[in-house]
Amino acid sequence: MHDESTPDWKVLVRERLLPLGLPEQEEQQVVAELAAHLEDCYEEQIETGVSESAACETKLNELFETRRLAKNIQRAKYKEELMNPRTKQLWLPSLVSLTAAMGSLMILILISLQPRFLGRSPLQMVLLPWLALLPFCGAAGAWLSRRGGADLVARVVSGLFPMIVLFSLVGTLIVTRLIVLARPHLPFISIWIALGIILPSAALLIGAAPFLKATKSKGIA
Amino acid sequence: MKRIRSQIARGSAELAILVLLAEQPLYGFEISKQIEEKTGGALYFTLASLYPMLYDLEKRGWIAGRWEPNVAGRDRRYYGLTPAGKKELAPLRREWNFFFQALDRLAGVTNA
Repeated sequence: MHDESTPDWKVLVRERLLPLGLPEQEEQQVVAELAAHLEDCYEEQIETGVSESAACETKLNELFETRRLAKNIQRAKYKEELMNPRTKQLWLPSLVSLTAAMGSLMILILISLQPRFLGRSPLQMVLLPWLALLPFCGAAGAWLSRRGGADLVARVVSGLFPMIVLFSLVGTLIVTRLIVLARPHLPFISIWIALGIILPSAALLIGAAPFLKATKSKGIA
Repeated sequence: MKRIRSQIARGSAELAILVLLAEQPLYGFEISKQIEEKTGGALYFTLASLYPMLYDLEKRGWIAGRWEPNVAGRDRRYYGLTPAGKKELAPLRREWNFFFQALDRLAGVTNA
């Protein structure tokens, strides 16, 4: 419980420092840490014989520097960050997995159209090699996301992003087909979903799986 | 002794923090106090200079902080050197040594 004779440093720091523009939990930690520092300084001054009001005033004077302090903390936390956390943890890894998956699909299709491969089944020439490559695409997305410090959901989304895009595309096509044709060809739709969504998603997930585990925190040596 | 207020002090403060934390994990107040005591007041941290530096070092992965109770049973954020920080410390020491030697050759400034 807070002793009424001593200042509530957390409140004082919060009043003067916030908003820092940091994530809430991080902001709370900064406030708690600065308040603890001021509390220690204050008590040290009291022990050396400085009156409570003078000690409090000295420490409050330090807090008047808070504009500079807040600026410095923001700079220290986000200095040289070319990307914001959301971009680093989600959008960039997702873009990488999407580009890799779609790029490899395109290359495989182009190869299958070469005259010497004509006549071979698309399953053999495109789908199977693509499924074999997809785990690497999923792994790249999930790894980059984990490297950016993302949580589990962002890592899964980054790894599966190509399929999320494809699912939206296929979903739109199916809905359009349902509206235009009114008589949906269910076996065709099922094959599309199985070959175009479920199998590739599984392949991506296999690649992403090793990077879905929690990262070990940096230990103190 | 006059307090050194310069870029050199800011640069050397990083080394001072890493050297202290190589000995044992400390929290912010202890770090500033020990640095001030051990340098005879030549290096001095204010709130506005210490914590941004700690956060910067933490972001670089050289130090890591964790909340633990101190001897009085109050929660404090203790910082310790990470393996990456340990690895950085030796070349940093060498750089500063080289810097003081260079100054010594130039202006007769001896390495403290």
